[in-house]
Amino acid sequence: MTRAAPLRRRAGVAPRVALALVWLALPLVPLVLWAAADRWSFPALLPTAWGLTGWRQAADQGAAAALGRSVLLGLVVAALATPAGAMAGRALALHRVPARRLVEGLLLAPVAVPPFAVVMGLTTLTLRAGIPGTVALVCVLTVSALPYTVFVMRSAYTGYDVGVEEEARTLGAGPRAVLLRVHLPLAAPALATAAFLAFLVGWSDYVVTLVVGGGQLVTLPMLVGALSSATGNDAVVAAVSLTAVLPPLLLLVATALLARRGAR
Amino acid sequence: MSAELVVRGLVRRFGGTPVLDGVDLAVPAGECVALLGPSGSGKSTVLRLVAGLDTPDAGRVHAGGRDLTGLPPERRGTAMVGQRPRLFPHLSVLDNVAFPLAVAGRRRREARAQAAGHLALVGLADLAARRPATLSGGQEQRVALARALAASPAVLLLDEPFSALDPGVREEMHRLLADLRAAVAPTVLLVTHDRQEATVVADTVAVLLDGRIAQAGPAEELHTRPATLAVSRFLGGANEVPGRVEGGAHVSALGRLALPVPVAAGPGVLVVRQEAVAVTGPGDDADATGTVTRVTPRGARRRVEVATPAGPLSAEVGPGLAPAPGSAVGLVLPVAQRWVVPCPDAQRAEG
Repeated sequence: MTRAAPLRRRAGVAPRVALALVWLALPLVPLVLWAAADRWSFPALLPTAWGLTGWRQAADQGAAAALGRSVLLGLVVAALATPAGAMAGRALALHRVPARRLVEGLLLAPVAVPPFAVVMGLTTLTLRAGIPGTVALVCVLTVSALPYTVFVMRSAYTGYDVGVEEEARTLGAGPRAVLLRVHLPLAAPALATAAFLAFLVGWSDYVVTLVVGGGQLVTLPMLVGALSSATGNDAVVAAVSLTAVLPPLLLLVATALLARRGAR
Repeated sequence: MSAELVVRGLVRRFGGTPVLDGVDLAVPAGECVALLGPSGSGKSTVLRLVAGLDTPDAGRVHAGGRDLTGLPPERRGTAMVGQRPRLFPHLSVLDNVAFPLAVAGRRRREARAQAAGHLALVGLADLAARRPATLSGGQEQRVALARALAASPAVLLLDEPFSALDPGVREEMHRLLADLRAAVAPTVLLVTHDRQEATVVADTVAVLLDGRIAQAGPAEELHTRPATLAVSRFLGGANEVPGRVEGGAHVSALGRLALPVPVAAGPGVLVVRQEAVAVTGPGDDADATGTVTRVTPRGARRRVEVATPAGPLSAEVGPGLAPAPGSAVGLVLPVAQRWVVPCPDAQRAEG
């Protein structure tokens, strides 16, 4: 019976996974078609002329550089928000925190407040203070990412037994060895999830990059925005949009695989 | 590698109330002392203070002549095995055991080879490649023991390590601990609330009551010659006959009972283990006579409670030997098993 159960469970999961994939992929179908279309006149069900003109134009518009900037922005936000979220999450889950509700509320606030409203005021502030647009952008996005990292890490640490770390200490491991050999390996799946969410905050942002960043940093969303409002060329917009969609999907798969390995 | 552990005047307060109020304890090198106490008596706190996981408000901890007080846990050489095995879930069984060797800076291959030896010592050599999550409770605890021994600790601290296991597995672990002691002779401080476990596993039992060591000695001595009524009661002693000591005998409602050893005159409570008391007919040279009020099973044996002129007394008898409730019986308190705890009033107040 114990041998049969996982098989049956797997059999039940497969169709549901397939459905979820279809749900995710469906909106991408027109995008993929457009990206491969040189011409697609109105009544036709499929593109009337296939080709890679959209991709060539996207490359000419600097899509590659924008992709690099977006990746970098996502990574910087993840690199800042993940450790901060891990520390706050650990403190909230395992230690006595004074005014806990208030701290939790403050950490959650960036999700509740509409970014557009805050960003307008912030721009004035950062301009007056003479903070470079990119630095201000990274700061604001890191704060926006904190709620996700904090709450992912807090729930991970809630099920974490600090006794394992104490055990490691009595076995001769100093604080550094405990961090590297026990704490981080055990927190790795949650850290990956938190980092992924933080990366997405930086990756998909438009409003903050536009307003606080002052348009200095041309990321993929900025390029998509500019192209879709300016050219009216659907093929190039589709190509750039696809470029923006694929990296997070790949990351999602990687994170899921890592989480599964951690669960075993 | 094993060293003598000496604990002096250990005090630990939590929110003003002292949980430990001057604990003195010594574990000679290579011996096993069981720290026995009721739950909440602070016995685990003693271990945490020895391991350096908690800081004492006063007192010192020495091992092998080295003052450990104030050292961080990783520099004390006091490996601990707790009630939960706390294996590292991300490491294989072998790498769990190799952990203390790896953090000590050994090369991986050397650490694993040595770890395999420790794993063999606990009889789990063939599980080396498994993940901790796939082990049974008893196996996990064996791995935890192997891992602690791999750290070659000066003192091995065991915090109720077997109390979560099934009785059969627990006995297996007691035998394993005896084998390990014969093989590598670590100094062991074992904390337990299980009186039987303490007597089975340890050379010396120390009873922790009200934040102090009430008495320490061989298990049999604690049972038959308790220092206080509190110790006697904690160890399950049921028979207390208040009276006075006069001219080498105990005088009470039971009359004059000779004592095996000289005791200073004065008020004192006679205690005799119920296991030592024999039930006879009401005539035959009984030290006390009375009526059986209750017979309760104690595993294979039976506890017989008898109402006597000196109050209720109990005897434990083997299968088939218990008299019927209501019958008149005599009780023999063997001279060699009589023991007097002095100062009944002071003791009463404490107990």
